[in-house]
Amino acid sequence: MLLAFGNFTADPSVNLQLLIGGLALGAIYAVVALGFVLVYKSTDVLNLAHGEFLMLGAYFALTFLISENLNFFLGVFVLLLVMLVFGLLVHYGIMRRMVGQGFFAIVLITLGIATIIRALLLIFYGPTERARLDLLPQGSFEIGGATVRHVDIIIFAVVAACVLLFFLFFKYTRLGLHMRAVADDIEAAAAMGIDPDKVYAMTWAAAMVMAGVGGLLFGHVTGAIDRSIEAIGLRAFPAAVVGGLTSLGGSIVGGLVVGVIEQFANGHLGTKWREPVAFSVMFVVLLVRPTGLWGRKDLERV
Amino acid sequence: MTAVENPTPQQESNTYRPSPAQRFAPFVTAAVVPFILGATTGDMNFWWKALITVVVLAVVARLAWKWTPRGELTHREDMRLWRTPSDRSWAAATTFGLLVLPFILASDFTPPMDFPWATWFAVVNLVLIFAMGAAAFNLLVGYSGQISLAHVAFLALGSIVGGIVGVQWSGGNMWLALPAAAVAGAVVGAISGLPALRLKHLYLLLATFGFHFVMMLVWREYLQEYFGFVGIRFKGENSPRIASWLHWLPGIDPDQNGEFVITGQFRWYWVLMPITVLSILFMVNVVRTREGRAFAAVRDRDVSASLLGINVARSKLFAFALSSAIVSMSGVLASFYIGSRGEDSFNVQTVLNYAIIIVVGGFSSIQGAIFGSAFFWFLPEWFKWAREELWFVRDIDFLSDYPSEIDLAIKGFLVVIILMFKPDGLAGLWRDFKNWLGRSLARNKP
Repeated sequence: MLLAFGNFTADPSVNLQLLIGGLALGAIYAVVALGFVLVYKSTDVLNLAHGEFLMLGAYFALTFLISENLNFFLGVFVLLLVMLVFGLLVHYGIMRRMVGQGFFAIVLITLGIATIIRALLLIFYGPTERARLDLLPQGSFEIGGATVRHVDIIIFAVVAACVLLFFLFFKYTRLGLHMRAVADDIEAAAAMGIDPDKVYAMTWAAAMVMAGVGGLLFGHVTGAIDRSIEAIGLRAFPAAVVGGLTSLGGSIVGGLVVGVIEQFANGHLGTKWREPVAFSVMFVVLLVRPTGLWGRKDLERV
Repeated sequence: MTAVENPTPQQESNTYRPSPAQRFAPFVTAAVVPFILGATTGDMNFWWKALITVVVLAVVARLAWKWTPRGELTHREDMRLWRTPSDRSWAAATTFGLLVLPFILASDFTPPMDFPWATWFAVVNLVLIFAMGAAAFNLLVGYSGQISLAHVAFLALGSIVGGIVGVQWSGGNMWLALPAAAVAGAVVGAISGLPALRLKHLYLLLATFGFHFVMMLVWREYLQEYFGFVGIRFKGENSPRIASWLHWLPGIDPDQNGEFVITGQFRWYWVLMPITVLSILFMVNVVRTREGRAFAAVRDRDVSASLLGINVARSKLFAFALSSAIVSMSGVLASFYIGSRGEDSFNVQTVLNYAIIIVVGGFSSIQGAIFGSAFFWFLPEWFKWAREELWFVRDIDFLSDYPSEIDLAIKGFLVVIILMFKPDGLAGLWRDFKNWLGRSLARNKP
């Protein structure tokens, strides 16, 4: 059956290459999915603008690291700082007024934010595509006939470090505890003296910083930096859902699983099958376990 | 209801019953006068037409106001679609406006300051198509609360059915493609609604989004299989026609080769307007039936709805099927109106556009879909005009350098601002305006 679709091959080196490509793609998905998870975990908002946040990060990386030619670490620091400010802006300017609104209204307002960011980036950077970033090591090495790029390993390491960092943050810091409390029950948390407003602001700032990291990393592996890189936000949905929208570690597992499946579909069935296959996987996971593999189950009261 | 239940005699005198002739007279006037105007005033000046329109609008609205039953209403009168005098007068005026609009738009007219009159006809037709699709979207997402992002998938389904039935089988028979698309849309819509039985809110949104990508794959495969990369041509030899046995109808005069091809804005308007109006009326009426009230009950709390005896699964699937059928029909209309559909015709941005339309127009209001799509299509026209002609805007280079981007930014800002400060959108503004008008016209000020 599968043979009828395309160039199915059992050649091990091709499959190994696909596996490695899938893991690399999965690492990027994990970066994006982590952004979704951070926001959804503590504010219950599905942030459809995360792809645009990422695009913002990639363009700022262009500005600070290429155009301004700052030192790499200084440039990354400035980038993340700017993204943090933008995150606070998103919260205090917009999302703060939307607390308590209906679910779909909040989804739509993130779409509005996405539209604004896209328009502003087009105005300030123009539609011409830029070469991808080349600040991280560009080399590659071979394992069993398959090429592994250094960038992919760095991306994977950074994602794992970020997940670990956030895990420790949620578990051991006071602010992390506050975030978990607000996510659990905002009213009870407020009654205990936690300021949900501040917690939400921190969440958005963290998500923006994560998008900055993601943009910087994705800027190294994408074909070129232009307005189409926002699509990564949509394509990472299956990864976030498969892992569970409230699970930090789940975003890594989900990212890798979906990335590998997508890459195999790409290699064996053709490029057009990538998104349908990824979303079908997500669909099956949703039907079997609606909250993903490690998601928090919500009780519903009548 | 009767005097027995209500002993005070002056209540009885408060009840006013116009004769049936009086009740329908405004609507008959509204329906007939535009055609008399259109048939007899071909060479009349634009301003005369506009003046006559305004006068007749006012008369029709006034008559509808005057001859509405009022006072104590029977249950049947209380349940009418246009219940109050204000409803009836707006309805009569809208009927008249819709019928007279094409004659005004088609008249040869150069407006002051080069206002973009010529392009308006095309925009109006697009608004009609989009209003139909957006109203169906709103019925599903806003009114029934079943979050779906598979909207564009059904537009694509409409194009596929239009391609198979309308182009490949019958060489441009849109009349066959429309019901076929409705049936296909209903069936596929019910299937795409199956996840709604198990998933809600966020997860339903994601599942329907998956359906979007599957449908896009089907669309691309279909296109490559039969049409190649040029896409489907719905114009030229595939344009829809009026069948020859209908040529006796008034206003239809066939071309040299004995065919009446639907082409040009004027003819398209008379095809699109009735279909859109009828489908929107249909949806408004569905909302008033038992099924429609069940939609709202399921949206508010599905467990309580099932305790009230509503079959929740049936209600959800029915909402999906209904909305998808109408969206597919609007997909057929859009394909034949625009004339060609290729691989890039459908994308995620189109879903977002429909979302923008229903937010700006007013969430969960069918009226809002009409306002929203009108706003969505007129905004670029107005903005273009302001950029080129308005003296205080013309000199801002920034605006003319980035026209489409600023357009996009305005739409984004509008969505954010409306959701933050006026969640019921343009439909809410319109309601406020009517309330204000009613208050200021009232004899006894409350």
